[in-house]
Amino acid sequence: MDLSDSPVDAEFRTEFRAWLEANLPAEWGTSEFWMNLSPAESFALRREWEADKAREGFAGINWPKEFGGRGGTPTQKAIYDEEMARADAPVTVNTLGLTFLGPTVMAIGSDEQKRDIIKPMLHNEVIWCQGFSEPGAGSDLASLTTRATDAGDHWVVNGQKVWTTNALHADRMFALVRTDPQSQRHRGISMLLIDMHAEGVDARPLKQMTGNEEFGEVFLTDVKVPKDAVLGEVGAGWNVAMLLLSFERGSSAIGQYTRFRAEWEAVAKVARDSGRSKDPALRQRLADALVNLETLRLHSLHILTKVEKGEQLGFESSMTKLQWSETHQDLGEIYMDVRGYAGQQIPGLSTSELDPLTELFLWSRSETIWGGSSQVQRNIVAEHVLGLPR
Amino acid sequence: MFFALTDEQRALQDSVREYLADRFPTSSVREVYDDPDGDGIPASLWQAYGEHGWLAVMVPEESDGLGLGVLDAAVLSRCLGAGVAPGPWLPTVIAGEALRLGGGAVPAAAKWLERIASGEVKLAFAPDPSLPVEYAAVADALVAVHDGTLTLLEPDAYTAAPVAVLDRTTRLARVEVTGSGTRLDSAAIEGVLRCAAVLTAADLAGIAREALSRTVAYDKERVQFGKPVGSVQILKHTLADLHIAVTMAEHAVLYAAYAIDTGRNDAALAVSVAKAKASDAARDVTAAMIQFHGGIGYTWEHDAHFFFKRAKRQEYAYGSASEHRERIAKLVVDA
Repeated sequence: MDLSDSPVDAEFRTEFRAWLEANLPAEWGTSEFWMNLSPAESFALRREWEADKAREGFAGINWPKEFGGRGGTPTQKAIYDEEMARADAPVTVNTLGLTFLGPTVMAIGSDEQKRDIIKPMLHNEVIWCQGFSEPGAGSDLASLTTRATDAGDHWVVNGQKVWTTNALHADRMFALVRTDPQSQRHRGISMLLIDMHAEGVDARPLKQMTGNEEFGEVFLTDVKVPKDAVLGEVGAGWNVAMLLLSFERGSSAIGQYTRFRAEWEAVAKVARDSGRSKDPALRQRLADALVNLETLRLHSLHILTKVEKGEQLGFESSMTKLQWSETHQDLGEIYMDVRGYAGQQIPGLSTSELDPLTELFLWSRSETIWGGSSQVQRNIVAEHVLGLPR
Repeated sequence: MFFALTDEQRALQDSVREYLADRFPTSSVREVYDDPDGDGIPASLWQAYGEHGWLAVMVPEESDGLGLGVLDAAVLSRCLGAGVAPGPWLPTVIAGEALRLGGGAVPAAAKWLERIASGEVKLAFAPDPSLPVEYAAVADALVAVHDGTLTLLEPDAYTAAPVAVLDRTTRLARVEVTGSGTRLDSAAIEGVLRCAAVLTAADLAGIAREALSRTVAYDKERVQFGKPVGSVQILKHTLADLHIAVTMAEHAVLYAAYAIDTGRNDAALAVSVAKAKASDAARDVTAAMIQFHGGIGYTWEHDAHFFFKRAKRQEYAYGSASEHRERIAKLVVDA
């Protein structure tokens, strides 16, 4: 066991930390700054800042150089995530593209797709959203009904997608659609790459219980999609989706740990300043949340070690998801307990003007649902890790 | 960056597991259980501890030990917990660590360390002599935290009266200190107790992992209502949560041991994280072991109570989960 940085990794950490110190505007660390911007302004600012960062070589850290990446290791990607979180830099705007689509295109995309998709994604020239969930297909994704009809030289897509992160900001969407009208369940589905600016695409905001609109709904009405805008084989979309989702398995939760740990410190400070930290029951819960955060960090290091050793990754990412999402939700509950009734008073009249910890409390309710609900994750752990029967 | 056991540590782990599986399975533990008046130290097992160097693990090389760290000892402790293995391995190793850390100026300490390494002696360790002490009645010497000082007591300086014990994978005695003994460096106490807490947490992580594995295996086979009970979603979800808890406890134990070995400044926090997590996980898993075996799990003839009772004992050794959470609060909430 050795948790210190190798000389090369330490050098990368120092270099990137210095870049962040020089290039991350100080006022970005305050919640007031972001509160005074519209969602579109905020998105544009972050998009541009990240593009600058990419030009300086701090993007696609562990992607091969031939694709415009930095050619670094998974450990360096984890260091990058950790330093971004440590500096309280904004979370990437192209998260679905970078986490899922990029690695999938590198693995199975055509040469044209590799050329046209990867670099523009890294530089935020094209923002991607994911079109998987539908009103009738949540946890049961295979029941999706959005269909693409073969019209000879193009597809005609009709249907509705929902819970689409960045729906209003995205330029393109990788979407699961049924290309075989006779098909059922996992068969006859394809991964279409849809232009969000095309005629017939109507992206609408979906107002959440936080008051914010991070997600959207996308209505697709007779949308024309070029015949070759398919990732992988036509009809093999389910397997493409499984490959795509598998890229989350190797990703590290170190960045999340670092952000959550800072939030934990903020909750502890509120407890301390208000005197609530003297409550023995609250102390136990704060400590318990810390235990679960610290072990999340260690689980991330465990997975990273397996990735670096080239070992086959199982379904340990489901354990990571459960651990971080449920602990984060606990932290939100603890914060509300620290505040008590006083927590009902929020900074602004609009619910979108929440203090960051109150927003955490509300937002964390979504985290145990999206990306595979906690109940689905428990099924996965029980069946694929423990081998219990279906 | 490398968060995993080394090949050597894996080999050590394999050798302990193989030994216990072949030579001291839970049917052998049962013999110790059913002989409550015995000394609780199966001769063949104790001999193996000495011959394999398992007692010498943390004894310095100059005292003929292996000179390894808390992490290596934790690997061993985890295996012994999984095997619910009887015998004073843990108290002897902890007393040895007290002699190593606190015995610098005491000639007798080095002598005792050599005898630990060779497997000649059994030692007891009393963090609080007002509580029952493991194997004190049969130990060759006792190291105690007595009146705030770390003291080496030879048998003429204390009496030890055996008491009946709930978890029969150990033996306990009430100790009365009657002589003065040899003072060790009391500055070592904190380090010794940290090491003891981590090794106890490792024992708990071992108990928890084995209890979970046995329960999962049983629930795959046990059929009720025409299907394996392990296909019932409420059991699956509970077992999934327990698997995560045990995995996190395992990580926490390894990290805490590593943090002590490398002198990291978060070692105190890491130790409390490990002991809190492992105590909770082992309690929950061993309770589920009984529940998810149904009636058979509640019988004396089933092994579940070995795990359940040992977990309950170790839960309170060197600080309970809630005591360690309070320590965490002092370290990071009050800071």
